[in-house]
Amino acid sequence: MNSTVNDHIPDHVPADLVVSYDYHGDPRLTNEVHASLQVLHDEAPPVFYTPRNGGHWVVTRFDEIKKVVEDYEVFSAKEMQIPRIENPPYFIPLNVDPPNNIPYRQALMPAFSPKAIKALEAKIRQWAGEIIDNALAKGDGFDFIQEVASVYPVSIFMELMGMPMDRLWEFRNLSDEFFSTNDQQKIHQLSGQIIMAMTEILEQKKAAPADDLMSHILNIKVKGEPISLEEMQNMCFLLFLGGMDTVANVTGYSFRQLANMPELQQRLHDNPADIAKFTDEAIRMFGVISNPRIVAKDAEVFGVKFKKDDMVLCLLPISGRDDRKNGNPHVFDIDRSKEDGHTLTFSSGPHMCLGSFLARSEIRILVEEWFKRVARYEIVPGTELGYRTGFSLALTELPLNTVKS
Amino acid sequence: MVKIVFESHDGSERTELELSPGGSVMEAAAANNIDGILADCGGSMVCGTCHAFVSPEWFEKLPEQSEMESALLEYVPDPQPNARLCCQLEVSDAIDGITFTLPESQR
Ligand code: HEM
Ligand code: FES
Repeated sequence: MNSTVNDHIPDHVPADLVVSYDYHGDPRLTNEVHASLQVLHDEAPPVFYTPRNGGHWVVTRFDEIKKVVEDYEVFSAKEMQIPRIENPPYFIPLNVDPPNNIPYRQALMPAFSPKAIKALEAKIRQWAGEIIDNALAKGDGFDFIQEVASVYPVSIFMELMGMPMDRLWEFRNLSDEFFSTNDQQKIHQLSGQIIMAMTEILEQKKAAPADDLMSHILNIKVKGEPISLEEMQNMCFLLFLGGMDTVANVTGYSFRQLANMPELQQRLHDNPADIAKFTDEAIRMFGVISNPRIVAKDAEVFGVKFKKDDMVLCLLPISGRDDRKNGNPHVFDIDRSKEDGHTLTFSSGPHMCLGSFLARSEIRILVEEWFKRVARYEIVPGTELGYRTGFSLALTELPLNTVKS
Repeated sequence: MVKIVFESHDGSERTELELSPGGSVMEAAAANNIDGILADCGGSMVCGTCHAFVSPEWFEKLPEQSEMESALLEYVPDPQPNARLCCQLEVSDAIDGITFTLPESQR
């Protein structure tokens, strides 16, 4: 992307903390996105200032990121645009700092809790099986991202929300278009369409409530008062934004990693019980979301002077690769100890991912169903894999050849 | 010093910690790599992955739960009475000698 924003370094930033990093597409990046990004751990201080994109702080290491995302009094989630814009988008509960986020979070929690996700497992499994079967039926060279990784979370999202399945294709297409464009005008137009579709369904649920998340959202009360339609739309849209591309991309990177580890494929095929460990390790290695914060008041943290309204970007996708936190962090090892398995892929603190239990189950179940059908697989030799960067890392294709079980 | 015991779900493993007062039980567990405490949200009370069970006697003695804590404890994989979030309990003389039994799974 062409950045038209001028470089900027404010006066309170000391020269020894300035390192150039462009989150839109840094020259350091290769299609091994994580491996090329993790060089920042050595090339830059754990908290540094980049002049790019109007200038902002960047936090690269586990302990420092954890502190930033947990300390909401200094690092607020209320604005997430870098550089800042007029009237930034405001999502509930994502952009609401404690304590006001709590009633919303509490209202959504039951649907995303470990208990609820356990109850949803059979449906998730059914989708996983069906989607993999359809993809395999296309024959060798099918694109795993297109045919599996991106359709799977949309289907489960619709299931969870209670959206009518006769709109599956309409919604899958909207979601696909939405997450594969960078064109602001198109994003705006598609957001409108998605919110409109969800509003229609909300209206239907109002008339005929069911045991699903949308009906539940209609009944949310905050401080005893029902929430407005606008708040409902806002929450539904955040769930949509949070739960599709994220799962698709972590899954994509994980399957790509596994494609290059034939022995591990064999092991997971023969011992499905190890797939949960694979999921944990994949989540450690392949985070995809970097989260921004805005400094709410002047403060000195980590010996660094932050000024009110400075923007801060936490590179969660390399948090699990921090060698000060985890031993052998660059090795993909499903047998690693808890001590060496730390990650902030789902962030921490008051906004820690609401969908993390769902996301973990989705990935685990997809791999389980995969190895019921596939004995081994490889990336189509000679493919040049594309990627997207930004606050969200994406793998744009992954063509696979498979050998059936 | 405050003595705290963590016991695995099936009782096969016991870890005894001697701690100086201060900080939360979750922080103590994390610092000592207690396997069954995950604490995904770092004590912000939104994940429930730091829960553990105490005896009814200890449960009576502990400070009361907030509404948010009881809500979270209802939605863990296997909800049970006498559960607490370790991030909401302070290491202090008041809990000297307590045993926390870890759940079979946190998520
Ligand atoms: C592997 C897949 C996923 C990853 C890597 C991921 C990552 C994250 C991260 C890093 C945050 C924190 C953002 C911040 O602090 O600024 C977050 C928040 C959130 N995520 Fe996820 N997420 C995933 C899947 C999901 C799913 C499946 C859903 C639901 C359908 C979801 C819904 C949300 C929501 C609603 C929030 C905001 C929570 C709040 O502000 O309290 N996520 N996610
Ligand atoms: S650490 Fe998340 S609720 Fe205790």
